[in-house]
Amino acid sequence: MVDLFVNGIILGSIITLGAIGVTLIADILNFFNFAHGDMLSFGAYMALFFVGVFPSWGNFPFLSFGPSMILAIILAMAVTAAFALFFDKILFKPLRKRGASELFLALSSLGVAFIFRAIIRLVWGPQAKYYGGLQMARRYPLGITIKPDEFFIMGTTLFLVIVVYLFLTRTKIGKAMRAASDNETLARVTGIDTERVVNWTWIIAVSLTAAAGVLYGIQVQLRPIMGWNILIPIFVAVVVAGVGDLWGAMVGAMIIGVSQEMLTGLLQDMFNSLNIDVLMTAYKPAIAFVLMIIVLLFRPQGIFGTGE
Amino acid sequence: MLSYFVSYLVMASTYSVAALALNLQWGFTGLMNFGIGTFYFVGAYASALLTTGASPDYVGGFGLPFIVGLIGAMAISGLLAYVLAYPALKLRGGFFAISMLAISETIRLIVKNEKWLTNGVWGIRGIPQPTRALLGANLAEWVYLGLAIAILIIVYRLTEIGIRSPWGRVLNAVREDEKMAEMSGKNSWRVRMQSFVFGSMVMGVAGALYAHYIGFISPSSFTPLMATFIVWLMILLGGTGSNKGVIVGAFVVWGVWIGSEFLIDFLPSGITSKAGFVRMLLMGILLDVILLIRPQGLFGREKVISKLGSGSEN
Repeated sequence: MVDLFVNGIILGSIITLGAIGVTLIADILNFFNFAHGDMLSFGAYMALFFVGVFPSWGNFPFLSFGPSMILAIILAMAVTAAFALFFDKILFKPLRKRGASELFLALSSLGVAFIFRAIIRLVWGPQAKYYGGLQMARRYPLGITIKPDEFFIMGTTLFLVIVVYLFLTRTKIGKAMRAASDNETLARVTGIDTERVVNWTWIIAVSLTAAAGVLYGIQVQLRPIMGWNILIPIFVAVVVAGVGDLWGAMVGAMIIGVSQEMLTGLLQDMFNSLNIDVLMTAYKPAIAFVLMIIVLLFRPQGIFGTGE
Repeated sequence: MLSYFVSYLVMASTYSVAALALNLQWGFTGLMNFGIGTFYFVGAYASALLTTGASPDYVGGFGLPFIVGLIGAMAISGLLAYVLAYPALKLRGGFFAISMLAISETIRLIVKNEKWLTNGVWGIRGIPQPTRALLGANLAEWVYLGLAIAILIIVYRLTEIGIRSPWGRVLNAVREDEKMAEMSGKNSWRVRMQSFVFGSMVMGVAGALYAHYIGFISPSSFTPLMATFIVWLMILLGGTGSNKGVIVGAFVVWGVWIGSEFLIDFLPSGITSKAGFVRMLLMGILLDVILLIRPQGLFGREKVISKLGSGSEN
């Protein structure tokens, strides 16, 4: 039980980093970015590229990678964000200028999703890849068995969330972003450079999702479809929490992560004791979906949303 | 060469049926269905299970005639849409799109994993092509093409009649301004539901047409690219809100898709294995280019004018 909970927190960490980006884009740019998942995969593969470029400086104690991975994460975040800015320049910005609707922007992001996916497959092929050696899980008290790498995943997530929180609350541009999300017209009237706000939104949102991709790759493996598969839990986390809420996105992600792990475990036990032959782990992503439907039916504005 | 052309026409007609269904939902009702492929998928499986011979590997097959398969595909897709409408249609815009995407991935998981029902990833083989048994293989192709075109014409006529009827005007009013339509005493929930269910039924028919033509289906025949994205591309290229336009869009996009296969033959062998991904890239770029430079598509929204009034300007 405790083990499943911890596994849920690990999955929730990865979803958190994706969900913060989706919620920022949905809040400030007013559309759901369907390319977010494929940007996540792209980040993971960019890190694979950079890890290959650097010499091996040995591994950190207990972990399956060393300092080169830290550099690779940072560079993957930067490159993926640069790609997102490029797409904003050539695609989303002109659409915004034309006053395209929320749905049009979402559709065009679907096109971007396929562009990223095709690039990944063209460059790296469709097979699964790994950053390095596979790591064995270790036993801890309370029946928890996790890989030491997974402490890194949770730690990095916590670190990045705190950095983003400080950025949004302490820096001038962060405050401008929050202002723009509250009321864009008012923000513009008070002299906030909205294009700069837009750029920073992309940089933060996409670099976080790239980091999520690398962490996901460290935990499991790299596959071109990884981002598309985790996109639904990411969206669900945002929808469950209500758009525009940073902490809500995090809590939503944890709820999704934990319930995916624990519910599949519990249901599997139940089906086993009833002698029903169902492989619940295959349905992990469906749990997120069912959860979303339940939440939306009872609280369409999300759990934390105010329903303005 | 000629058989290639016939096969192109059959597939393009099948996709046109799917595109008309999506155009009804998105173009005329404003439902951003990112899970349109689900109903295509479900229709294909429904018809396949109903018409193939008995097999120990999956439920059925029932060996029923083609027409039963077609009706079954329609019924099951419609039923699925009806059930899903209760949670999903309460959502608007992007939220609806997300829920449809989630539904489609969930259904893919079910088809992949429930081997007893669908034979899992191995798929279903030997789906009968109704005309092939009666006629020679060569003539059967032509007859099947005739069937596909007949279905396309029926669906086209029905949607045209639908959108030009009072029902269609309510649909239009709901898409443009739902609150206003409600205030005028129109039941927006009901027309959205009807459009969603009817569109999904048509999508199921398209799936059945595909399954009986190809003769083999598996979850990998219905990737998001081939079942959903390409249909979106077709209606955006042709012109959202124009039934003629989306049929042209379907024929053009499918032509480009097939045509790029010929081009691949001329490429060096190293790239050939990756050709599918190049096409995926081109499709993604094409979609964004259309949205950027010609958002109304080739044809643009047709002004739907009733016989009585002069129609609204916008």
